[in-house]
Amino acid sequence: MIEELRELWRYRELFFSMVQRELRIRYKNSFLGILWSFVNPLMTTLVMWLVFGVLLNNGVTSFFAYVLAALLPFTFLQSAVLDSAQSILSALPVVKKIYLPRELLPLAIILSNFVHLITGFVVFFLALGLIYASTGFGVNPFQASTWLLPFLMLISLCFATGLGLLVSALNTFYEDVKYIANVAMYLLTFLCPIVYFHEQMTAALKINPWLYRLYMLNPQAVLCICYRKALLAPINIPVTKNGTPLTVDGLAVKVDATPFPWGWLAYAAVVSVFTLWFGYRTFNRLKWRFVERP
Amino acid sequence: MSDLKIEPAIQVRDLRKEFQIRNSHVGSLKTLFLWFRKGETRRLEVLKGISFDVAAGECVAIIGRNGAGKSTLFSLLARIYRPTSGTAQVKGRLAPLLELGAGFHPDLSGAENVQFNAIVLGLTRKEAKERFQKIWEFSELGDHIWAPVRTYSSGMLARLGFSVAVNVDADVLLVDEVLAVGDHEFTKKCYDRIRTFQAEGGTILLVSHQDETIRQFANRCIWIQHGEIVKIGTPDEVLPDYTAHSEGEL
Repeated sequence: MIEELRELWRYRELFFSMVQRELRIRYKNSFLGILWSFVNPLMTTLVMWLVFGVLLNNGVTSFFAYVLAALLPFTFLQSAVLDSAQSILSALPVVKKIYLPRELLPLAIILSNFVHLITGFVVFFLALGLIYASTGFGVNPFQASTWLLPFLMLISLCFATGLGLLVSALNTFYEDVKYIANVAMYLLTFLCPIVYFHEQMTAALKINPWLYRLYMLNPQAVLCICYRKALLAPINIPVTKNGTPLTVDGLAVKVDATPFPWGWLAYAAVVSVFTLWFGYRTFNRLKWRFVERP
Repeated sequence: MSDLKIEPAIQVRDLRKEFQIRNSHVGSLKTLFLWFRKGETRRLEVLKGISFDVAAGECVAIIGRNGAGKSTLFSLLARIYRPTSGTAQVKGRLAPLLELGAGFHPDLSGAENVQFNAIVLGLTRKEAKERFQKIWEFSELGDHIWAPVRTYSSGMLARLGFSVAVNVDADVLLVDEVLAVGDHEFTKKCYDRIRTFQAEGGTILLVSHQDETIRQFANRCIWIQHGEIVKIGTPDEVLPDYTAHSEGEL
């Protein structure tokens, strides 16, 4: 593996130009070009704000921000894995003719998606700042724990890279893999606290603590929780029953925000690093057989 | 320092390459679950342990009929395949001229592809940028260089690919009979460029089916048949035997 990493380092120039190219190709034939990587999260932010802040206002201030804080890293994982699935197959004509470390193909796609995650967070903080400035009582754009963000993003990157390498290598031989990944990502959208709070899930799963642990075994769920808690002020979520807020003696029943799940974060970090190692190892074992695919 | 010259530019030792040919189609999980039926796979030994050296500055022609293993040998030298056993070592930077244009992205312009391919072949981004003018001029593509490569004709692709390959300071050039695509003028220009490359001490490995080309460029010939070396020697020694053998087979 050391030798493989050394080879990657030798090809760093190619790698960076591939990332650049990836960023450019995506919006190649469009008028706004690279600006689209800002427009997309901007649109998502706007829609989230409209849906959760205006139309379905559930009493949580800036609820859309809580959705977005979990949605952005999730979208990164999703597009990194699904985009890289096809990366080897679509580049097979090149790979068959010219030598380059094969892992560069998925890695460049994953990193370019990571760049989109960064621009997404830039838009996120801009939106928060805008609300803060215009209303004076929105969510404070920065929390004391905002410094965690780079570390969380690093863990996300490890996890997405490991999965991306794994999926792209396997999909080269078994094209069912990308469909399986598609379904898995769709299910994951609901198995991660994105449009709901994990506190609500905990309340629902209270009957069986093992179910809750099972739920938390998904590292992306843990990451979504951590992003949300690190970036936004803790809030108490109103409990609703059959669509109406539950009240006792005229007071809304609220689930108290749980503390930052440090233990689970450590678990997610370990799983992510393991995924990265496992994905890279599997990729390296299979990569010489890509061109010999019968 | 003179010792360095003795060290070969290409060193091939007991090189073997075997492919597994499966009768069923791969590409679905079904094949994974049917792994126990792998008995169906056939082994195809394309190269059966060949060894040779090519000295720096030499031009060696590989001859042999279709399916003899020439392309596999080139792919092994270009590190596309990993040998089943044995080694194929190339000293310095290698630029393959295999099926020109295969490494291009159809949606990007010629200029962007030049930049990208030059970096794949080992230039830094800065060097690739500096080298662009030279590559562009050599290709004679004019304003077409800014158009997407998907709009190129095969001749234009050949020009672009060749221009990149000979302008990246390669030490070893693999030429897989691709120069026939361009028009007469450009083919001549390519051959001139190859001669300059040779004069500057570059090493060339050439696949050709044309005796004149081989006699013009090659110092030596390697005749491969069914994955084995039949004969190594000067073109005058090998070509008559090869021709006689081929005609005998017909």
